[in-house]
Amino acid sequence: MDALLIFVGLIALMLTGMPISIALGLTVLTFLFTMTQVPIDTVALKLFTGIEKFEIMAIPFFILAGNFLTHGGVARRMINFATAMVGHWHGGLGLGGVIACALFAAVSGSSPATVVAIGSVILPAMVKQGFPKQFGAGVITTSGALGILIPPSIVMVMYAVATSGMQAVGPDGQPVSSASVGELFMAGVVPGLMLAGFLAFTTWNRARRFGYPRLPKASLRERWEAFRKAAWGLILIVIVIGGIYTGIFTPTEAAAMSAVYAFVIAVFVYKDMKLRDVPRVLLSSASMSAMLLYIITNAVLFSFLMTHENIPQALGNWMVETGLPWWGFLIVVNILLLAAGNFMEPSSIVLIMAPILFPVAVRLGIDPVHFGIMIVVNMEVGMCHPPVGLNLYVASGITKMGITELTVAVWPWLLTMLVFLVLVTYVPWISLALPHALGM
Amino acid sequence: MLRLLDRLEEVMIGTLIAGATLLIFVSVVHRYSLGIIVDMYSYARAHDIAWAAPALRSTFMSVKSINLVWAQELCIYMFVWMAKFGAAYGVRTGIHVGIDVLINRLPPERRKIMILFGLACGAFFTGVIAVLGANFVHHMYYASSISPDLEIQMWIVYLAVPTGSALMCFRFLQVAFAFARTGELPHHDHGHVDGIEDDADIEAVEAAPVTPDDTGIATGSDRLPKDR
Repeated sequence: MDALLIFVGLIALMLTGMPISIALGLTVLTFLFTMTQVPIDTVALKLFTGIEKFEIMAIPFFILAGNFLTHGGVARRMINFATAMVGHWHGGLGLGGVIACALFAAVSGSSPATVVAIGSVILPAMVKQGFPKQFGAGVITTSGALGILIPPSIVMVMYAVATSGMQAVGPDGQPVSSASVGELFMAGVVPGLMLAGFLAFTTWNRARRFGYPRLPKASLRERWEAFRKAAWGLILIVIVIGGIYTGIFTPTEAAAMSAVYAFVIAVFVYKDMKLRDVPRVLLSSASMSAMLLYIITNAVLFSFLMTHENIPQALGNWMVETGLPWWGFLIVVNILLLAAGNFMEPSSIVLIMAPILFPVAVRLGIDPVHFGIMIVVNMEVGMCHPPVGLNLYVASGITKMGITELTVAVWPWLLTMLVFLVLVTYVPWISLALPHALGM
Repeated sequence: MLRLLDRLEEVMIGTLIAGATLLIFVSVVHRYSLGIIVDMYSYARAHDIAWAAPALRSTFMSVKSINLVWAQELCIYMFVWMAKFGAAYGVRTGIHVGIDVLINRLPPERRKIMILFGLACGAFFTGVIAVLGANFVHHMYYASSISPDLEIQMWIVYLAVPTGSALMCFRFLQVAFAFARTGELPHHDHGHVDGIEDDADIEAVEAAPVTPDDTGIATGSDRLPKDR
C-alpha cells in the first residue's frame, strides 16, 4: 500500500514537469513527514552523505575529460584515422563514422557527447559527398549510443553507485556482492565491440544495396600518417582501460588522469583549443556534473526510503512466490526500462530503477554484472528514440532535421540494436566472458 | 549585486572542479613517483653508480615527506560544494531535466500554471532542505566532530547543504518571478549544437570556436532570464 502511494506520488509530481531531482526529494519528504517516525534530521545528513563516495567523483571527471576531448580536436583525428582504415569499403564515410564513434566511446563516458563530437564533423562531410542526410543521421545517432556501453561509461558508474552496499541474497540464500565500476567497465568491452560490429554491418549492407559513395583506398603511408596524428587520443584508451585493469588507478583516478591528459593534448599538443576557452569548458562541465550529482543525492534519499519500507525485498519475495522464471523477469525488466526510456533520461532511470530491481534480479540468480550491462544496453535504445532520446535531439541539432524525420531515418539501426538487446539479455556469456577471464 | 553573486557562483564552481582534478592528478603522480625513485635507487646501487644514490635518496625522502592522504577527502568535499552551488547555477540556466512531454501539450494558460507550480515546489523543497540543513549544522557545531584526515570541523563541511540549498531556493524564486512577468523560462537545449549552420560544411565546423555554453553531455545554449 505504502509502495503504491510512493510511486503514484512520484509519478504525479514528475508529470508536472518539475525537475526529476526535485520530484524525488519532495516525494521522500512528504512521505517521511506524514507517514513515518524517521527523524527528519537524517534527511539532511543523507543529502550530504549521498554523494560522499569517491567512486561517484568519477562522473564529474569523465564529463570534464569528455568536454576537453570533444572540443580539442581528438574526435576529428579519430575520424580521419577510421576513414583511412575502412573508407574504401561499402558505406565509406558512414562506416568510418561507426568506427570513429566506437573509438571515441572508448575515451568518453557519455553518448550524446559522442554524437556531438563525431557527428558535428562527419555529418556535414557525408552530405557533401552525396550521402542522403537520413543515412548519416541514422548511423551517427545510433553509433553514438556506444558511448555508454564501451568503457568508460557514466551510466555504469551510476549503476555501481546505485546498487553498492545493497543487501542482496542469491537464490541459495548466500549474500551476493554488487558489481564494482571496474568489473562493469571490463564487462562492457565485448558487448560494445559486438554492437559496433552489428551497426557497422547494417551500415555496410544498406550502403551496398543503395550504392552510396565510397572513398578511394588510402595508401599505407596515409594510414600511418592518420594513425600517428590520432595516436595522442588513442593512447588515452590504453591509459583508462589498462590503468583500471592493472590496478594502477581506481576508476575515479583514471577519470581524473584522463581529464588532465585531455586538457594537455587539447591545449598544448593539438592546439585546437585556446587557454582562454578553458574556463568556459570548466563551467559547463561543472554545471552538468552538479545537475547529475543533484539527481544522485535525491535518488539516494529515495532509495533510502525504499529500503526503509522494505520495498525491494517485498518485491523480490513476491516475484519468487509467483514463480516467475529468470527469463520472464528479464522480459519484464526490458519492457519496463524501454517504457521508462520514453520519459526519462538514463541517469535518472538507473538511479531510480536499479536499487529496486537489483535485489530481485540477484534473488533470481542473475549476475549483477550481466544485469548492469543489460540495463546499459536498454538505456542506449532509449537514447535513440523519441520523445526524450537525447541522441536524437543532438543529431537533429546538427543536421537540422525534424525529430519525426530522424525517427524514420534511425529505424534500421534501432532494429539492429533491439536484436542485440535480446542477445545481451539472454546470453550472459557476452558480458561475463571478459571479466571472468580476467579473474574479476 | 546580483551580477556579483552570479559571477561568484560561476568562478567558484569552475575553480572547484579544476582544483579537484589537479589534486587527484598530483596525488596519483606522487604515489607512483615514490616507487619510481626506489627503482632508480636500487638500480644505482646494483650498478655502483656512486653519485646517484645519495641524490636519489634525498629526493625520496623529500617526496615521501609530502603527505597526501587527505587528497581524496578534500576532493570529495570540493565536489560536494561544487554540486550544491552548481545545482543552484543550474536552476538559473535551466539545466535540470524534467519530464515536459505532457505539460507541453497543455494549452498555454494551463501550462503556465503547471510550470509555476513546478518552480514553487522546487523553491519549497530547497527551502525546507536549507532549514533542515541549518538545523543540522547547528547541532554539528556543538558536537564539534572533526573529519578523519583533514581534521577540520565537520560543520564547516556540512555548511554546503544549507547555503547551497538556500541559494537554490532563491534561484527558483528568481526564475519563477521572471517567468510570471515575462513568460520566459531559462531553457537548456540539450539538442542544440553550436557552430552548426544550415549550410554548414566541414571547414566551417572545424574552424568553429569552442562552443561556449556547452554542458557536459552535449553542447547547448542557455537563454537566461532577462532581468539579471
